[in-house]
Amino acid sequence: MSYKIETQNLSAWFGSKQVLQDITMKIKGNVVTAIIGPSGCGKTTLIRCLNRMHELTPRAKVTGKVLLDGEDIYGENVDPVTVRRRIGMVFQKPNPFPMMSIYDNVAAGLKLNGIVDKHRLDKIVEKSLKAAHLWDEVKLELGKSGASLSGGQQQRLCIARALAIEPEVILMDEPTSALDPTAAAKIEQLIRILAEDYTVVIVTHNMQQAARVSDFTAFLYLGKLVEYGSTKDIFENPKSELTEKYITGEFG
Amino acid sequence: MSRIIDAGLEELSVMLCRMGELTYETVSLSLKGCLNGTSVYSQVNKMSDALVSMSDQAEDKAFELIARFQPVASDLRTIKSYMKIAYDFARYSRYALDISYITKQFGGLKECEKWITEYIEKMSEKVLTMVRTSIDALRSHDTQLAKTIAKTEEEADKMYFEYLDRLIEKAPATSKCTISSVLVVRYLERIADHATYVCESVIYLATGEKTILR
Ligand SMILES: Nc1ncnc2c1ncn2[C@@H]1O[C@H](COP(=O)(O)OP(=O)(O)OP(=O)(O)O)[C@@H](O)[C@H]1O
Ligand SMILES: [Mg+2]
Repeated sequence: MSYKIETQNLSAWFGSKQVLQDITMKIKGNVVTAIIGPSGCGKTTLIRCLNRMHELTPRAKVTGKVLLDGEDIYGENVDPVTVRRRIGMVFQKPNPFPMMSIYDNVAAGLKLNGIVDKHRLDKIVEKSLKAAHLWDEVKLELGKSGASLSGGQQQRLCIARALAIEPEVILMDEPTSALDPTAAAKIEQLIRILAEDYTVVIVTHNMQQAARVSDFTAFLYLGKLVEYGSTKDIFENPKSELTEKYITGEFG
Repeated sequence: MSRIIDAGLEELSVMLCRMGELTYETVSLSLKGCLNGTSVYSQVNKMSDALVSMSDQAEDKAFELIARFQPVASDLRTIKSYMKIAYDFARYSRYALDISYITKQFGGLKECEKWITEYIEKMSEKVLTMVRTSIDALRSHDTQLAKTIAKTEEEADKMYFEYLDRLIEKAPATSKCTISSVLVVRYLERIADHATYVCESVIYLATGEKTILR
């Protein structure tokens, strides 16, 4: 069995404050893995370590390994930009580039990567918007500002933008917390569909959401990985008392 | 895009329909064996074990859907009903096993008078029809069909008590026949009851109404 991502004794700091301790976990390809845990436990930090974004914060430090297809992304000759291209990220608040059109929002990453051929750009933009299940809603107004869309549409636009550069892994940090239930349900359905072609890691505060969308769930507490297993097992029969307490709402 | 829970509900529904078909075969085989005195015990045993384990799997799946999707309204009713129906199907097959055990142990109805075998054959047909009705009603969530079982259930019940009355009037020649036939009609009556429960569950999941068809 090979895994898409494997962390080995991953620890992370902000200055002298350690926020992740010795996280070792194997993440399967083409499934959805959810990371749950109370506020401040290190969920965001963990996924930011998975695509070398953590180090962008001043005084931040990482030790341990993160293997992508068996190769350490923190290895000596690895270019972090390449890593971030292979491992895309979608954030909590939909953040389309406000001055750009829908089309340009999706094409932005491609242009940065030197793709200028209009025909090729058109094709990738369409494909990405389709994959994000937004195409039908915007195909007649691709020139409109990205900021003019609804919150749920903006989030799907951000997903399309992430997909356009053809990543292998998509990290999502609370992608629905700024959305109403209907828009959130759409994103959840989309996440299930994305898992057919991508490896998805989602951070969520909402454990019901983790239960619904993920195949595997990791419970993080005070920077430590308390329990990690199939979502069915975690929600039906957690091994750790802490997990039980958290998912039944006794604390958090 | 369909809802995430739909795939799980569909999977559960397919599991139940498969159980339904297998359960029909099991009951029908055990009755055939009983009526012509051939032992089908080991075969029925295997089928029955398979059904019990399928029932466990269905329950497990239903449990997972509850834990993961917090189902409400028709989704919740469907899951609750599917759990009950899976159990009912497993019960059909357990009674089928009991029937073939009698055949194996006492040779079935071999020693019985002709009127008795004819009577039980008639009752078997009725109960098999009920089993079929329950399976078909479930497959298409057909409440009209489900309701029709009330009449057959009453008839099967009547046949059961009438049989006991007749035996009291005129005992069969051998006690083997007495014991076997009484147990078989009793098991048939139990299967008929479970088929009725299934139909009640179908009505409940489709409409939310708690109907008693007995
Ligand atoms: N830029 C930063 N500088 C210093 N400390 C930080 C910074 N960002 C986060 N932290 C601290 O690191 C710890 C982990 O934070 P992180 O954002 O990973 O938590 P989280 O699990 O994502 O929480 P939430 O659910 O609230 O988003 C917290 O104690 C937080 O206060
Ligand atoms: Mg966070």
